[in-house]
Amino acid sequence: MQLKAGAPRPNLIAGGLFAAALAASTALAPLPAAAETNWRAAEGSTINLLLISHPFVDSLKPLLPEFTEKTGIKVTFEELAEQPGFEKLLADLSSKTGSYDVFMTSPLNNWQYATGGWLEPLDDYIADPKLTAADYDLADFIPGVLASGRWTLEPLKGVGEGKLWALPINFESYQLAYRPSLMKKLGLEVPKTYAELLAMADKLKTDGPNGPVNGIITRFDHYWDLPYLTFGTMLQSYGVEMLDADGKLQICSPASIQATEDFITLIKKASPPDAGAFTWDQAMQGFASGQYIMSFNEANLFAPVYEDPKQSSISDDVGYAPTPLGPDGKRAAAAWIWSLSMNSAAKNKTAAWLFLEWVTSKDVSVKTALAGNMNPVRKSVWDDPKVTALMESWGETPGQYVAAAKTEAEVAALRFPPHPELTRMLDRWAEAIQQSYFGQGDVKTNLCAAQDDIQAMIAP
Amino acid sequence: MPPRRKDASENGLARGTFLLLLAPALILLFLSLYPFLSGLYTSLTDQKLYAAGGTRFVGFANFVRLAGTPLFWTALGNTLSYTALVVAIQLPLGLAFALLLDVPGRLQSFFRSVLVLPLLIPPVVAGLMWKTMMQPQQGVLNYLLSFLGIDPQPWLANPATAMISVVLIDTWLFTPLAAIILLAGLQSISVELTEAARVDGASPWQIVRRIKLPLLGPYVLLVALFRVSDALKSLEIIYATTRGGPLNATRTLHVMAYEEAYRWSNLGRAMAIVFVLWALCYAISGTLLALWQRQEARRYAR
Repeated sequence: MQLKAGAPRPNLIAGGLFAAALAASTALAPLPAAAETNWRAAEGSTINLLLISHPFVDSLKPLLPEFTEKTGIKVTFEELAEQPGFEKLLADLSSKTGSYDVFMTSPLNNWQYATGGWLEPLDDYIADPKLTAADYDLADFIPGVLASGRWTLEPLKGVGEGKLWALPINFESYQLAYRPSLMKKLGLEVPKTYAELLAMADKLKTDGPNGPVNGIITRFDHYWDLPYLTFGTMLQSYGVEMLDADGKLQICSPASIQATEDFITLIKKASPPDAGAFTWDQAMQGFASGQYIMSFNEANLFAPVYEDPKQSSISDDVGYAPTPLGPDGKRAAAAWIWSLSMNSAAKNKTAAWLFLEWVTSKDVSVKTALAGNMNPVRKSVWDDPKVTALMESWGETPGQYVAAAKTEAEVAALRFPPHPELTRMLDRWAEAIQQSYFGQGDVKTNLCAAQDDIQAMIAP
Repeated sequence: MPPRRKDASENGLARGTFLLLLAPALILLFLSLYPFLSGLYTSLTDQKLYAAGGTRFVGFANFVRLAGTPLFWTALGNTLSYTALVVAIQLPLGLAFALLLDVPGRLQSFFRSVLVLPLLIPPVVAGLMWKTMMQPQQGVLNYLLSFLGIDPQPWLANPATAMISVVLIDTWLFTPLAAIILLAGLQSISVELTEAARVDGASPWQIVRRIKLPLLGPYVLLVALFRVSDALKSLEIIYATTRGGPLNATRTLHVMAYEEAYRWSNLGRAMAIVFVLWALCYAISGTLLALWQRQEARRYAR
């Protein structure tokens, strides 16, 4: 299925937290510019970026000379892996030395950074016609994705309201990726529900040219991304939210216990014995290297890697499907958003803003998308013919990736409550899931113990 | 007759010069004491990196809280067992290497240079290197073991084997250090002593047992001291391979403190863990140091 111009725009991130934010963010589109934007307002200065290794960064690097040519601003950057990158960033931000003017971040991290007063709000820069071009078009961003960068600083509420702390650069939701040839060989259909997937878990095993091929791969380490993103998508499809409408924790609810038991059964039956330590990077590499039949609820933006013959040994044998449906026939999904923020201690804020504006502009967004930065956060980029043609080619049949991504986007949402200590809470939750997998106590006891601990973190 | 020792005034060390020399010493003292005391103060507060200006003095609350945290006791147990394993494996192994290298021969210098190679590799790099080799699916270690008919092991990915795997990496990296120190000890034993024993008909094994090992005592303690204090504080290898997991199988006090500070921004709580670690390190290495000094004193008294 193709995204046709004129067709209804995919509401790429809908769901709870985003629905209310939609109206607010469109109302804040910049007024028509009265003055001419001065791209050379910070000529001769230098800005320093902290970037996290990601396809976005690979797509950005070749474009940096264009920015320097346009603005006269020199750009230096450090590129680190996710964990050390965030640790280094924390040290820099908290000491307020301003080593990094602009950095890659996420709503989850920003809930802590904004609380610390380390982020520069961006609304004033956007509203200043001398600094922001008239065609920047804030309304072109997918409203929910843009709104994830707004927060009022109130714990557990206020996302999508308040100041804008970040501009999105890409977003991911989750999907199944599979090897059509191996599924055919085993006589299996792509599962539509978790029940179907569980039923076929025992059969997901075969031999490939380079030895045994395992059933499924997904990240499963003891960190927050487990109950937030990948397994989180399964949890949410079982109807589990971290907090219910009354603000009560749902971590050891019957639905949560059921989902966790099913997940552990699935991993035990269809994954190799070292599955309890996989990070997202290993999940991506593992599937791309052809050792698995299925990548389970992993990030959909890994597709450009799977499809690239230089990075993948399965580029001609990969299909995509939406995540399975839960017991009530319901699908829900999480979303992850990479964004860029400005350090409130940045030494050259004008230059930093011009960079932010440039890198999130329509033109540059098309260029980074074509170089593998998925999924676009601007509606116009989804409609760009070259981008459409690229994504159209992915999958077992033309348009399969786009269709799966669209299906997920209809339900994907940033689901967890904003709180500066959220990662600690989710780490604790992930630990309970791992304890159960490694046979230390039963699922119910572990999840309820985690819920008690997390309750204490919310209200110490 | 040796010259009588001069005291400071006879040495021409004027009061001014004395004070001038005292200054750097005081600066050094301040530079090491200040971070220590400020760290100690932090451990008595609820300081969080992101809660600007909101730091409160909480007394020993962080320590009390730690004692009530099951994970702390797991981490303490892991720290101690890591240290015990490291010393128990590396001392005998280092001794064996040292004895072998002490045998004169053409290959001696070659093996000596081969032995020190791991010492040139930073622990983080060694950790990453071994992590790759220990991968259950593509790792070279399981591939090599398959020739011996051994099934693939999930080395670092299973709580049951993670700790011993990490100790294995530490052993690969630091046994050479033990061997070098012990080799120096062996070579300090006078040749006359071993020659005389040989002439008297002692077997090589008797020479090792009755002469070399007893004289090596202080060196053995020195190795133990180095390895114990390093192993208690070990972070790089564990963080590069397992990050304290799977589950909490390799979560030592240092890893716990690191996560508390750099993942969760709780400086106060992190500092409390660091101080427990410091006390532990101080107590164990202090005991070893006292033993070592007593041995040294006995050696020179002989």
